[in-house]
Amino acid sequence: MKVEITRDWCLKMAMLEGDSEIGAGLVAIDPVFEGNPMVTGSSDDRSVAFGRFVRLMRRNHGLSIEKLADDAAVDVAELVSIEDDTHHKPEVRTVYQLANFFKVPRPNLMQLAGLTIQHNNRLNDEAARFAARSDPVVALTEEERAALEAFVAVLSEQS
Amino acid sequence: MTVTISRVYLLDVANNTIQEAELWDAITEKHLADWEAEWMPELFKATQKLHRANVERRLWPQSRHWDWRRKASVLNGMLGNPGFSIVCGGLTQGMMIVDSSMKRCRIPSQKGRDLVYVEFIENAPWNRRELLFDPPRYRGIGTVLIRAAIELSKAEDFKGRIGLHSLPQANSFYANTCGMVDFGVDANHEGLRYFEMTPEHAEAFIAKGTSP
Repeated sequence: MKVEITRDWCLKMAMLEGDSEIGAGLVAIDPVFEGNPMVTGSSDDRSVAFGRFVRLMRRNHGLSIEKLADDAAVDVAELVSIEDDTHHKPEVRTVYQLANFFKVPRPNLMQLAGLTIQHNNRLNDEAARFAARSDPVVALTEEERAALEAFVAVLSEQS
Repeated sequence: MTVTISRVYLLDVANNTIQEAELWDAITEKHLADWEAEWMPELFKATQKLHRANVERRLWPQSRHWDWRRKASVLNGMLGNPGFSIVCGGLTQGMMIVDSSMKRCRIPSQKGRDLVYVEFIENAPWNRRELLFDPPRYRGIGTVLIRAAIELSKAEDFKGRIGLHSLPQANSFYANTCGMVDFGVDANHEGLRYFEMTPEHAEAFIAKGTSP
C-alpha cells in the first residue's frame, strides 16, 4: 500500500509528537501468543479459523449477526464474541446450533472451536490455511469464497 | 508477498534537520534482525540504567518483553494482520502490527463497524527519552505509523476508523496528539486504556499536520 505523506506534514507532526511515548499493545510476555506459534494447527489457528468461518458463512448467507442469532437460535452477544474475540471459548450448545444451521458435521466444528481434543489432523492443517487466506472485510471476494468453499469441503468430511 | 515502500520524513533531533525515511508496509527479516541486534541490546542497557538510577520498576519500558520475531512469525502470514516498519539512517526506527479483520468499533456512533486495530506499536529504544536517551535520535515515528494505520483503514473502506490499547505511559500521546476517544481502562486487556478514532477524528488528526 503506497502512502502519500508530505515532508511538511511529517515535520509538523514530529514536532507535535515531541518526546511522547507511543507504545501500544498487551504488556505481558506476549500473552496472546503463548505456546509454540509455529506449530501448524495450533489452538490459535483454530480459534481464528472458527471466528472467520462463522463470519464468512454468515456473510455468504447474506445474514446480519442478529438474523443469524435468530435463525440459529443462539445468543447474539456470543455470536459477536465468536466473530471478534479469538480468545472467546464458545458454548457447546452454540457450536451445536451453528453446525446444524450451516450443515457441517458437529464433531468437526466442535474440534475447530477448540471444544474437543483434536483427532483430525488434516482439519487442523486446513484451519491454519483457511485462517491465513481469509480476510473478512466488506464483501466476499472470489478468493475468500474459494477459500471458504474449500474449507467447508474439508469440514464436511466425516472423520 | 509484495512490499511497498513509501517515502516519509523524520526529525533528526540532534541536528534539528528533517531526514528522509522509508515506510514499509511489511515487517521483513531485515527489520527483525535490527530488532534483535540493535534494539534489544539498547533496551537492555536502558533498563539497566533505569535500575541503577533507582527508577521504580513500574516505570521501566513496558514493552521490554516483547518478541517481535514471534509476533511477526504468527501474524505476518495472515492477510488481515499486516505489519509496518520505518527505516531511517539504515536502521529500523519503529514497527507496528495491525488487525484489519477481527475488531469492531465501540464508539456509539460507529458501533459494530469495522476498524483497523493496532495490535502492537513500538519505537526504537534510542528514540525514547523515557529510556534516558537524551536527546532521542528521531521524532515522528508514532505519528507516521498512526497515519499509516489510518490510510490502511481508508483503503479497507473503514474510513479512517482505528483502535488500540495504549501502554500507560503513552496514554497522553493517543488522547492529545492523536485526538482519539479514551474509553478508559479495559479490564479485559490487562487494565490498559482503550482508544478509538472515528472518521472525523482521523481527518482532524491529518489536518493537524496541514493547518498553518
